Amino acid sequence: MEILEFKDIKTVPDVIQPYTASLRNSSIPIVIDNGSYNCRVGWANSSKPLLIFKNVLAKPRKERGKKDGEMQIGNDILNIEAVRGNLKTQFDKNVVTHMEVQEYIFNYTFSHLGIDTDIGVDHPIVMTEAVTNPNFSRNLMSQLLFECYNVPSVCYCVDSLSSYWRCPSVNKTSLLISAGYYTTHIIPIVGGVVDFKRSRRLDLGGQQITYYLHKLLQLKYPVHFNALNLSRAEELLHDHCRISVDYKGELEKWADPEYYDSHLKCIQLPFSAPPISLLTPEQQKGRRRETARKLVEVNARKREEKLAEDEEQFNQLLSIQDLLEEGEDIEYQRSLDEFGLKSTEDLLKMISTLQARIERTRQKIANSMAGNSEETTEEPKPKMMKQFHVPRNEEDFNVWIESMRKKRDELVERKAVRKQRRLDMAKRRTVASVERMRLISQLAADNEKKEDDFGRRDQDWDVYKAINKEGDSDSEAEAEKLVELEEALRLHDPTYVVDSGKSVLATAESHRLHFAVESIRAGEALFQPSALLGWGQAGLSDLIAWVLKMFPEDVADELAKDVCLTGGLANLPGLKEKIISQLIEVRPFKSRVNVRIVPQPSLGAWYGCKQFASNPDSRQYFVTRAEYDEKGGDYLKEHSRSNLFNPLPLVTADPSLENPTVLSASVDIPIEDIEVDIL
Amino acid sequence: MVKKKSQPEVTIVVEEEPPHPPDGVEEVPGPQSKMPIFRNPHYQHQTLIGGKKKTWRSLKQIVAHEKSLPWPPDTPLYSNISAPPALKPPKKYSDISGLEAKYTDPQTKLFYASSDEFATIRSLPSDIIAGFLTLRGANNPIP
Repeated sequence: MEILEFKDIKTVPDVIQPYTASLRNSSIPIVIDNGSYNCRVGWANSSKPLLIFKNVLAKPRKERGKKDGEMQIGNDILNIEAVRGNLKTQFDKNVVTHMEVQEYIFNYTFSHLGIDTDIGVDHPIVMTEAVTNPNFSRNLMSQLLFECYNVPSVCYCVDSLSSYWRCPSVNKTSLLISAGYYTTHIIPIVGGVVDFKRSRRLDLGGQQITYYLHKLLQLKYPVHFNALNLSRAEELLHDHCRISVDYKGELEKWADPEYYDSHLKCIQLPFSAPPISLLTPEQQKGRRRETARKLVEVNARKREEKLAEDEEQFNQLLSIQDLLEEGEDIEYQRSLDEFGLKSTEDLLKMISTLQARIERTRQKIANSMAGNSEETTEEPKPKMMKQFHVPRNEEDFNVWIESMRKKRDELVERKAVRKQRRLDMAKRRTVASVERMRLISQLAADNEKKEDDFGRRDQDWDVYKAINKEGDSDSEAEAEKLVELEEALRLHDPTYVVDSGKSVLATAESHRLHFAVESIRAGEALFQPSALLGWGQAGLSDLIAWVLKMFPEDVADELAKDVCLTGGLANLPGLKEKIISQLIEVRPFKSRVNVRIVPQPSLGAWYGCKQFASNPDSRQYFVTRAEYDEKGGDYLKEHSRSNLFNPLPLVTADPSLENPTVLSASVDIPIEDIEVDIL
Repeated sequence: MVKKKSQPEVTIVVEEEPPHPPDGVEEVPGPQSKMPIFRNPHYQHQTLIGGKKKTWRSLKQIVAHEKSLPWPPDTPLYSNISAPPALKPPKKYSDISGLEAKYTDPQTKLFYASSDEFATIRSLPSDIIAGFLTLRGANNPIP
């Protein structure tokens, strides 16, 4: 059995890249893969993405009267769990909808690329957008880029298509599967033309799988609810989860305890052992005696100080009395005022009380001196336990100890039942509280009907016990009895284990997660979303079959020959094998099936966009500022990696107005022709 | 303790100046406090225009609006490419162990695979049971 530990990887804040002279005024495009999990940014001529950060920002909650806290973005967030509640994203599923957050992200992006020109960001932007991104969202994005950052031109690519076109198949016919963070897309590409119409989107991705795993573990280990955070679930998904090719068969194996034990992964949660006192009872006793002695000393010192003070005052008062006897009235009066005394009676009274007090204190000191020498600070005697009559005979002894055990277990159980009842009563909709409400309403209803004979029988009153919310409290007598029994068992029963001692020793053990079926259960959610998540959509393999069925047999055959996986989830081990096996199930006998994973599935989209951006021929597909002003924010020039441009239909449709845009958009790529062929 | 004490005092101070923030919003839209140099200082988000802050449209609203437009037939829209519902009936998997489940506990409605598991689910507290049901999308909020 392996024992693994969480790595809890910390992010490293991004450095600000140099904005070199060769970049300035060069109009080198900036390539942004605006993914819903990570954002990757670089120049069209960088060899790899310069910035990779989680596409989120943490904005501290606005508190009245306090200054707004520092906003953190991406890798500036060192501990994402600490700000989990305040995380904001510009995404709603895989589509950007919240432009204010997007603006903060752009600010972060461009400033970390080192841009410092006050005329805006003077570089063309190549960025990714969702498959069939709504025009509304694209409009907002273009508006932000052109009007807020004053960029010269923009080009939108679809992330999965960019990733695919880095390494298309020979005949450019593939079934592209892009498993992302919020969504999984199945996109057929036939003869180099993307068939958006027959593409399908499953609204499940890494995010839901992580969430599922997170919740599963929290429900399995409610004790570690807080230690099991989303980042750790994500780490488990990345490092220890896989997709099972034969889920049913593997579950049967897991049901076998031997297989379970040998394949179980144990993951140690961080914990701190409780401080164990290293002192022996003898030493502890010594310590106690020492403190007691110190206390006595302090008391004695205090008493002596008080005595000295009193004596001083007493002497002064006596001298005042002397003044009176000597007849020096003026002096006497002044002294009385000084002491706040009014008359001679007061003076006499005070002298007598002081005298008595001094006497008492002296007495006490004398007493304690005598006591100390005799060592009166004796240990308090332990409370006498009730002595049980222990039978000598072995057989009797066994019977006796058995009965003792039984008594104890009964007590413990009764206590547990009471505790459970209290817990249930505290919540609504539990069986116990529903029953209680029923009883109460019954009581109320009964009293109205017929004559009231409630209370004649003693049992009638038990109903109040039943509806009492607190239930019986743990009686003190019972608790005492339990202590007695446990004491007796500890003395006489060799098999008795002290409960409290056990829990202290087993802390490391109790902070271990048993990671077994979960390792394949999380990934299976992609394939059986309705069974595991109650999700309304079909699973991935059904969806692949569904998409293939929309094509004529020969095209479907070609598509199945090159199934291409991209997106972060393609990194999950077993996904490729699972899809192969599922494809073989749905494809006709003896047809060829092949599945491949694109190189660098997570970063493929950025590299694909970069490839596109660095190709000078691509410049014709960039939408310039002039075109934006003329044709609107949702305008898009179609190219191999882009979405289709669907010009917003005019409600008062005048076809002559619409047609020119439609035509100009579809000149470069003969999409319409191909679609007709397939139909 | 100290923090808790200091908080109410702070709120009292601020309650005197509620008319201030609206003015601030009009003049200084959000990020201007630390606005980078390359950003157009006069740009305002649509939601901020008109002085009153509006919320951004959610994807659901955007898609619903898009769907309502008279598109030519067969236009691939966001709403059109959504996956179809599952056709096969879902299999049953034990909620607590993940193994294939043959049985359903009539009381808690949890799925279980063996008698041991049954004993376990009967001892589970109600919030955990509700958690499992919610995770599977089978939690009916009305008892």
